[in-house]
Amino acid sequence: MRHALHAEWTKLRTLPSNLWLALAIAVFTVAATAASTAAVSTAQCPTPLTCFEDTAKLSLKGVWLGQAIVVVLAVLVMSNEYGTGMIRTTLAAIPRRHTVLLTKAAVIVATVFAAGTLGVLGSLAIGGVIMPINGFNPANGYQPLSLLDGPTFRAAAGSVLYLTLIALLALGISAAVRDTAFSITAVLTLLYVVPVVSTFVKDPEWLDRLRRFSPMTAGLAIQATRDLDRLPIGPWPGLGVLAGYAAAAMLLGGVLFVMRRA
Amino acid sequence: MVMTTPYRSSVQNPRDGFVQLMLAEWTKLRSVPRWSLTMLGGILVTILSGMLLAGGAGSASSGGDGATRGISPQYRDAGNYVHRVLTGDGSIVARVASQKNNDPWAKGGLMLRADAKPGAPYAALMITPGHGVRLQANFVTDIPGSSSQAPRWLKLTRTGISVTGFESADGATWTKIGTVELEGLGDQAEVGVFVASPDALQLQRQFGGEDIVENTNLGEATFDNVKVEPAKPQQLPPWRGDIKPVAPDATSFHLVGAGDIAFYHYATDSTKTMLTGAMFGMMAIVALAVLYVTSEYQQGLIWTTFTASPRRGRVLAARAVVLGGVTFVLGLVAAFGTFLLASPMVRKGNAAPATLSDPQVLRAVVGTAALLAVVAVFSLAIASILRRSAAAITVVLLLLLAPLVAGSALPLAVAKWLERLTPSAGFAIQQTLERYDTAIAPLPGLAVLCAYTAVALGFAIWRIGRQDA
Repeated sequence: MRHALHAEWTKLRTLPSNLWLALAIAVFTVAATAASTAAVSTAQCPTPLTCFEDTAKLSLKGVWLGQAIVVVLAVLVMSNEYGTGMIRTTLAAIPRRHTVLLTKAAVIVATVFAAGTLGVLGSLAIGGVIMPINGFNPANGYQPLSLLDGPTFRAAAGSVLYLTLIALLALGISAAVRDTAFSITAVLTLLYVVPVVSTFVKDPEWLDRLRRFSPMTAGLAIQATRDLDRLPIGPWPGLGVLAGYAAAAMLLGGVLFVMRRA
Repeated sequence: MVMTTPYRSSVQNPRDGFVQLMLAEWTKLRSVPRWSLTMLGGILVTILSGMLLAGGAGSASSGGDGATRGISPQYRDAGNYVHRVLTGDGSIVARVASQKNNDPWAKGGLMLRADAKPGAPYAALMITPGHGVRLQANFVTDIPGSSSQAPRWLKLTRTGISVTGFESADGATWTKIGTVELEGLGDQAEVGVFVASPDALQLQRQFGGEDIVENTNLGEATFDNVKVEPAKPQQLPPWRGDIKPVAPDATSFHLVGAGDIAFYHYATDSTKTMLTGAMFGMMAIVALAVLYVTSEYQQGLIWTTFTASPRRGRVLAARAVVLGGVTFVLGLVAAFGTFLLASPMVRKGNAAPATLSDPQVLRAVVGTAALLAVVAVFSLAIASILRRSAAAITVVLLLLLAPLVAGSALPLAVAKWLERLTPSAGFAIQQTLERYDTAIAPLPGLAVLCAYTAVALGFAIWRIGRQDA
């Protein structure tokens, strides 16, 4: 197991594009946060207090963009080996396939955890600089964010967990689909297209169901720190829904990976 | 002496015209079973999700259906109107004695219309609590007058199809506000006084949906000195409308009315709703267009392709034409299929249902096919530039989807600019109504996407000849 882990880590570390992708996770997250926080100001509300802005959620907004890079990184870890034929070497060296999949999962989770933590901390930092300029300051009743505050810590740590679960979801799908293009499309469609299309659903009951069971909207509920009773799904149950998707994808990918010829 | 004939090959010169190139590209495209299945799946998912979405479209279920029966959901033609027939030219004069200030856009005043049916051509001269005196016509024309409040004298004069509005403080000296022309106005017109008021509207936009709640808001106004003055002497028929019977020579009215007569910016665009399912089909097309290019690089087929046809720019152009054409045809099947199967599932409301004979609807349906074709060519161009599946797909999907995902959580003004300036502007072609959140008109929106595509394809063609394969 330790050698398998070392082998996977070597494969991940020695491909320069993976380092760039990991950096891109952090950079995209921070950049999207900067753009989102810059676009929202108290001037758009009748009075600063009636903005009801969830400042912790706003300064973690970039996660929805950073996750796209997480998907690419996690999919490539698996599908690239099929594209290049490397998978046959890997399986010749480590014939226990579930070990291969689990070690892949371990290294990708570790990488995404590190890059995600960087991105989330960077987001909180840049949000803390931009939001007070746009009116979300103590003078208007918005306290500065602090990780010592329980809900804010939950939102921040939950966002990192969210990104790692997205990585597992993508890894599972790519183990099942094996092709880079189709895997990335499938995961990004599940994440992005479902919420966009659900804006057109008018039936409130169905809208509620879609918000509760689509992986991105449910999972990102972990970022909410106020008006929790008005959310379609609570923070932890929401992340649980995403974990369910990730587990199902890993299970499907794992079963197919073990049963099929490489 | 032996005569030798020089050897000449009996094999004809290989033809490498553009048509042959296109045939070659078509063969490559159609002969991968997995791709054909993807296309088929894309069409099916588009139609199925369109049907599911259509089931929930139509009237907003929370606030009831405030639409006016039988006309486009874009217009509201309601309120309380007391009227009588005027034959030929003439005027109607009245003093609006008082008006309840229940909404800045509550309306009380005079109206002349071709007939009393909803959607008929009309000209209305009104006083509003928040926007002064206005002359409005046919839901879209709006000419401001003074900013006076009730009491105020108003006069509408008809000459042929021209209707002119005047206002006055005392009923003696009149100020002209403007003239509107009403196409389709016959010899007989209905003239009278009216009260209308927009519903109180609460709009909530949030990630993954919008919620519109409307509540009836009663407008109220009192009129006196109401007088119809025909140009030709005639016996005026009695007043009609939703009031207790009044004497034929009544000159004062007190009207209470709900509902608006105006352009309505919050209507559900049922055509766009059902065609939104095409977004799923689009994902399949993007994956396919990217693979169409990158798999040649990955498998080395690109060397064969460029050996057979060394003019690389032409290869790329042929590929774009073939892929765009195939996608357009498949898109037509998907879009018409969606409309035909899904529109019967739209919940019946008061408003007239969308039909293909409406040019806006037809444009949205055919435009959806065009949108898919342009997105396919855009993906192909990006894939030719980047040559990697992962990079190309992520770039294309983020450019198309990120503005929409981000927009639903950002302030409306910012969201609109995102949708105007990014390739996702192309989705505007699916609109058939103008709404409060409309960022860009349909054709300019598609033009923005086409411009991105042209630049990307131009760059790809320029680059492909200057780079090792």
